Amino acid sequence: MTDLEDIDQRLARLAGATYAVRPSAAFAARVMQAVHAEAVPGFWENAWFSSRRLLPVAAIAAALAVGWAVQVDRSVDDELATSYASVGFE
Amino acid sequence: MDTLEKAVDRVLAGDHAAFQQIVDATSQKLVRLGARIMGNQADAEDVVQEAYVKAYRALTVGDFDRRSSTSTWLYRIVVNGAIDAKRSRTRRHETSDDVQVEPGWDGAAFAEARVALAELDQWLAALPSDQRAALVLQSMEGLNNTEIAQVMGVSEGAVEQRLVRARAALRSRREQP
Repeated sequence: MTDLEDIDQRLARLAGATYAVRPSAAFAARVMQAVHAEAVPGFWENAWFSSRRLLPVAAIAAALAVGWAVQVDRSVDDELATSYASVGFE
Repeated sequence: MDTLEKAVDRVLAGDHAAFQQIVDATSQKLVRLGARIMGNQADAEDVVQEAYVKAYRALTVGDFDRRSSTSTWLYRIVVNGAIDAKRSRTRRHETSDDVQVEPGWDGAAFAEARVALAELDQWLAALPSDQRAALVLQSMEGLNNTEIAQVMGVSEGAVEQRLVRARAALRSRREQP
């Protein structure tokens, strides 16, 4: 920096001198290779991505199944109780 | 809608090959920005490559909300990556001056730019990386304080403070005998 060159002048000069900076020859290919490596998921990652949209449906189905199982269990108990009672009367 | 936003639309729609168009449309500006913050091209390319991978990941999992333009968003990823990289390199006292980059462009312009980047790096070396990034964005990339605040994810007041402190540090360094 010369004595007469202030901070903004020096920044402007260096901005001009670095304006020509551009990526090296193989840069875009290197980036796309890294992006493709990112794009190929592992088995579990793939399974997770494939199934995650179905998670809410699966959660509702599981809740309904538990509710249904509890209901069936109760009705079986009631029927058994009724049949034991009728056996007792006989 | 410009080419860049169309390419983003295509990637969001599942056309992952369209990401190449985003790289082609932005890599020159982003590598130049990265080089001005990092002080050399090799580190800048590493930072920008990592930024593209992050951007791709965000686009494919739906994390890009488009509240800012694609260009501003990419600037933000690169600036944050460069600030982090610069901090960690400073902590480890590392330098990439010896790393050779295959220019792929005019040799004389490359040599001149490389000398200018080295001068810039040496001059701004004493500044914290966030102040350095703010100064580069304003005085070399031509962004105003509102745009810098968007890119850096801070208030305009914080940007102003960083710029004032950066200039004061450079001025005091110059006044030292």
